Amino acid sequence: MPFDFPVLENPENTFEWMAFLASKYFGMFIEGTINTLYIAVVGTVLGFVLGFAIGIIQDLDMSADDLPIVKALIKTLKLVTSAYVELFRNTPMIVQAMIVYYGLRQADVAITPVAAGILVTLLNTGAYMAETVRGGIGSIDIGQREGALSMGMSPMKTMVYVVLPQAFANIIPEMANTFLTNLKMTSVLNVIAVQELFMAAKTVGGNYYKYFESYLVIAVIYFVLCFAFNRLFLIGERHLKDTDDYALAVEYLEND
Amino acid sequence: MEKAILSIQGLSKSFGNHEVLRKIDLDVQKGEIICIVGSSGSGKSTLLRCINRLERQTSGKIFYHDKEVRDIQREVNEYRSKVGMVFQSFNLFSNMTVLENCMLCTRKVLHLPKEEAFDRAIAHLKEVGMAPFINAKPAQLSGGQKQRVAIARSLCMNPEILLFDEPTSALDPEMVGEVLAVMQNLVETGLTMIVVTHEMAFARDVSTRTIFMDRGFVVEDAPPSQLFTNPKSPRTREFLSRYLAG
Repeated sequence: MPFDFPVLENPENTFEWMAFLASKYFGMFIEGTINTLYIAVVGTVLGFVLGFAIGIIQDLDMSADDLPIVKALIKTLKLVTSAYVELFRNTPMIVQAMIVYYGLRQADVAITPVAAGILVTLLNTGAYMAETVRGGIGSIDIGQREGALSMGMSPMKTMVYVVLPQAFANIIPEMANTFLTNLKMTSVLNVIAVQELFMAAKTVGGNYYKYFESYLVIAVIYFVLCFAFNRLFLIGERHLKDTDDYALAVEYLEND
Repeated sequence: MEKAILSIQGLSKSFGNHEVLRKIDLDVQKGEIICIVGSSGSGKSTLLRCINRLERQTSGKIFYHDKEVRDIQREVNEYRSKVGMVFQSFNLFSNMTVLENCMLCTRKVLHLPKEEAFDRAIAHLKEVGMAPFINAKPAQLSGGQKQRVAIARSLCMNPEILLFDEPTSALDPEMVGEVLAVMQNLVETGLTMIVVTHEMAFARDVSTRTIFMDRGFVVEDAPPSQLFTNPKSPRTREFLSRYLAG
């Protein structure tokens, strides 16, 4: 990438080396940052969707009238999703990355490293989120569900209108946490040749045998990204908090 | 005698080895106010929860307008929209305002247009004296206020029968009064009610029929004038003496 950047000549100390590497390989670090962000955001969001779907499946209740085929389907779904959650929670992401990427490659699936990275991130996130969602659903007292059911709401509507909105609000901090973890965990994807930040630092460091300085550069980038996102989430959370006040509907006050 | 709108036949319920309800038979006529009294653990609440299908009975049948209430979700939903329930712990939706609480089910179950659901909610909230609080969240209300909202919420469905499961047990004495007053007003609207309660005075003064339950059996089923002054069973007498003496 042709970047017209003033490159520092003859760096001497650590900071000068960092500045030198950062400016000389500006394009590479930017590409790494973009890929890191891209994989983390897309992987996390898709992982959330998967996690919610599994959390809801795990919560499904079979009623006596369901057709045998529906019952079998629910049972199978529960079994498959539990197995998936266990598999991905009990193996390291770096190993998952290798298996998914090389496994797909061996099966002649032409998957790019970035796509494989997203896939691994989303599968990993989904497994953890499934448990978080299950916990979030469990945190809503059963009484509220019974209140909805007792008036004729179907179990699905009860889930959608009563349980999930509250469960969602309760697990927002955990979701923010998961995203920040993912932002950092994308670094392991260098093992399948994803051009993310870690890969950039490895390449740059190798060119000058300046690994310490090179990794310091990406440490700063990771820190700034995570810090900024964390602040953003905190602001968002504060925004969502209920106020303690409510307006009395004076038009309905009785004047007698 | 008129035909019963709700008929419970041989209803039994066990939790494991523990028999909570033993072959309960109960017919409910339109407009009846049935109070069920009895000590804790006698199966009163379980009976109500079985009627609302929150519990599945072990055996026995429930008929609503001569039609068996089967375990088919769609039919259960429809039945529940006609046979509502008010709970001891209110069970309001805590993420919604009072108004939203009262509009959710009319919108999503009865599919009423917004304006109609709103009008209905306001009308019933006025009935229980909670209309000024439409913008409040449940957590901002007192227990008595919450229960009044819960009653209004159930009324919005225009139920034919309303089940009350110890509606005042979680309230302090002052709030008990305000909730009982609301329920007393409901009696005058002709709504059929089945009330599980420990408020003996309410049962005596308001009910058209009082049922005493003990260990899963209906021990006595009589007009309150008879049950409270001249109980037939010694067990009923023993139970009432503890309440009425105090």
